[in-house]
Amino acid sequence: MKSKTVKRLLSLVLSVAMIACLAGCGNAAQTAAPAADGDAAAPAADAGAADDGATEVSADDIVEFTFFAGMPGTEINSGNNEIQDLIAQKTGVRVKETWLTGQTVAEAIGSIIASGTYPDLIDGGDGCLDLYNEGVLVAWDDYLASGKYPNLTNYYTPEEWDQFRQDDGKIYWCNVFQNTKGEPTGTAHNDEAFWIQARVLEWDNYPEIKTLDQYFDLLERYAAANPKTQDANGNEMDIIPYTCLCDDWRYFCIENAPQFLDGYPNDGSVIVDFDGKDPTIVDYNTTPTAKRYFQKLNEEYKKGIVDKDFGTQKYDDYIQKLSNGNVLGMCDQYWDFQQVNDALRTSGLEDLGCNYVPLGLTIDPGMENRWHTYGDTLNVASGIAVTTSCSDPDLAFSFLNAMLDQDIHNLRFWGVEGVDYLVDENGLFYRTDEIRKNISDPKYRADHLCFYSYLPQYGGTSDDGINANLPEEQPSEFFNGLAAPMQKCFTAYGAKTYPDLIGSVKEDVNATHPWFPMWSYSNALDTTTDGGVAWTKMGETKHEWLPKVVMASNFDSEWDKYMKAYEECKPEDFLKQMQEELDRRIAAKSGN
Amino acid sequence: MSKKELKRQRPLLIWSAIFVVYGFVFYYLPLGGWVMAFQNYKNKTGFFHSKWIGLDKFKFLFSDATFLRVIRNTFCMGALNLVFTTVVAIAFAILLNEIRASKIKKPIQTISYLPHFLSWIIVTGILNDALSSYGIVNELLQKFGITDGSVPFFSIPALFWPIVTFAHLWKETGWNAIIYLSAITAIDPTLYEAGAIDGAGRWQKIKHITLPSLRPTIIVLLIMNLGNLLNAGFEVQYLLGNGLVKSVADTIDIYVLTWGISQNDYSLGTAAGIFKSVVSIVIIVMANSIAKRRGEERLF
Repeated sequence: MKSKTVKRLLSLVLSVAMIACLAGCGNAAQTAAPAADGDAAAPAADAGAADDGATEVSADDIVEFTFFAGMPGTEINSGNNEIQDLIAQKTGVRVKETWLTGQTVAEAIGSIIASGTYPDLIDGGDGCLDLYNEGVLVAWDDYLASGKYPNLTNYYTPEEWDQFRQDDGKIYWCNVFQNTKGEPTGTAHNDEAFWIQARVLEWDNYPEIKTLDQYFDLLERYAAANPKTQDANGNEMDIIPYTCLCDDWRYFCIENAPQFLDGYPNDGSVIVDFDGKDPTIVDYNTTPTAKRYFQKLNEEYKKGIVDKDFGTQKYDDYIQKLSNGNVLGMCDQYWDFQQVNDALRTSGLEDLGCNYVPLGLTIDPGMENRWHTYGDTLNVASGIAVTTSCSDPDLAFSFLNAMLDQDIHNLRFWGVEGVDYLVDENGLFYRTDEIRKNISDPKYRADHLCFYSYLPQYGGTSDDGINANLPEEQPSEFFNGLAAPMQKCFTAYGAKTYPDLIGSVKEDVNATHPWFPMWSYSNALDTTTDGGVAWTKMGETKHEWLPKVVMASNFDSEWDKYMKAYEECKPEDFLKQMQEELDRRIAAKSGN
Repeated sequence: MSKKELKRQRPLLIWSAIFVVYGFVFYYLPLGGWVMAFQNYKNKTGFFHSKWIGLDKFKFLFSDATFLRVIRNTFCMGALNLVFTTVVAIAFAILLNEIRASKIKKPIQTISYLPHFLSWIIVTGILNDALSSYGIVNELLQKFGITDGSVPFFSIPALFWPIVTFAHLWKETGWNAIIYLSAITAIDPTLYEAGAIDGAGRWQKIKHITLPSLRPTIIVLLIMNLGNLLNAGFEVQYLLGNGLVKSVADTIDIYVLTWGISQNDYSLGTAAGIFKSVVSIVIIVMANSIAKRRGEERLF
């Protein structure tokens, strides 16, 4: 009896294994098949653009591509996601996305290279250049020139495409962000700011907060008056007036504020000073403003305003704290903490005014600020790439091309009409509160929504000329989607959008700062150059010393020690290299 | 060895051959990769077309202050771990052995070695929670008025090594004690009886019978563990470390990861790895020869 059961079990296991093998072969056959008639697949996608859903790919012919993004993200329920299936029916491709977890992007890309197994599509972040050096990326030039993928070809102007060229003169990736179609709607501030909870501003009757000193003064007064708060379950918690993330590569949250406080835009690694002279690289780490900023943080740390655990908290701890609603303010990039908004909505804390409002602070009153960048920033250092492991690059490019079709774009970001958004008599898309609640629910997002957020996309307005390409950029939808305390705050300041609240100088950054952003160069530096070695060492030194300086009992002596350690990294090597790149960019723009 | 003997031992020979092949494939074959340390290795050009640069990578290593600091960290944390885990495990084994009631002894033994089966990510998670400024340790310290405010355990460089050693102790003491416990049970009971007749108390029995009988076991284990001295760890330091304590927390393995994988400099990573292996071999040979000279038990 017993042996019979064992035999049965064994045969079951064997047959399962065999089916798995067969399925594996089947997959291989499928991926090979469209390769033969790749030309046929591409026009089909084009036809889809002209005539909504003319062809539908049957479930058996759908090819699965793998995609790795060098950014943390939330995996969707791939294979069981409704919108992913709809897109697959239209394009013949389903993309299984995996995201960065618990590593830096450099480590992740390094491991992928060392293993020699590549996904079909990849966004290597800062590691893009490493992938190119490995020779594992497919050049885009022939595909772009073929005319079969017009959406991609027109995604950038020829001049912009030229900027993506590597030293062999070819294009290997394209950045998918900050590309505006139609009119910019400009509701979002996806950049850095000092953020503050809406309830703190409300408590003080919406004061004008323009400088770092005013900001901390308000935090101090609020914390003194309200030392306790409640989390979503009604548990009492201590207020953390200000926290600051220093975890791994995200230590930019503590280190790069001095450039903004001095009124410069986010060149990232340096300031470019061009006031009445030739543009010159300035190191923002050593400016008087930097010292004043860290001294302020140091004073506030001693007063107990800055989170005691700020120097050691991990990213997950940080997001947890923000989601609990007991952190009043921090300095961060919006994209780095935006998931907190969903958590605050689900927990109901948004009704208490726990959402964050961006402030455009400067070191002294009466200065201009450039926290918000008007105009698209072209980051040529990273983007989506097709690898040589991809069995059918034609299909991959036709898929990327299809991502920019308006109907698929709407599916990705707006969802299914009638379910995820409604259309009023003027053709304007809108959402009800119930839909908004659904959309911030993690389970619904996993099973239903499929943003493909690191594939090609547009900002601005849609082909219909009415709606925004991204729901959060739809002015009416944007305002109605805000929680009541946020609406009150916007109204109090007479602001319609996030950038209005920050009040940055309105200028097209590409016109006024033709070299912008310098970080697209420094991010791609590696240790083969002196400047790159210096850059790596400077990063390590700052990473270690900045929290130390903030926590120091004697600020001045600690700052001097930090400056000494900093000088030993030879920052001049780095700055020299940045100056050369700056000169090169200016020369390239002026057409020399 | 006679033919007959060979025939008789055939199954044993076959089994050992398998292990020789295993050892060759997994331990010796990869050593071929060491050539990377002497080349400017790039994946694209491979072993055969990468440029030879001789000892340049080693020169860079030993002129890099970070690497020297990393060696110090690895060595010190390794030594602390070795000393404390050995001493505490022996003490724990002896104490456990002195407990007569097996109803108490067994549960203690089981509970004490359970943490061994937890992965480091869990252990460091527990430590992070317990030692954070809102964690249980700080809460207790403040409740009993020992400290005024909370102690930022993970931001004080001087506390990092003790925390790592403590983590190792907590996780491995029970497990390490098992081998000593079994060595203790192997001690001839007549020795204890003879001792008792001569009027030895508990303490004297431990001192004069248990510890000397454990001596060979302790020495063999010490020599073996000395070879692991520079394997002071990767996960603990990687998971517990942060920017503030970087200068004391980074180990050779973390250095290899940052340069070899993140910066794509396989050659430098390999050079650091070679250094580590060579030092380990030197240490183990030295320890062995000292044991040999002093007439103690030894490995080879």
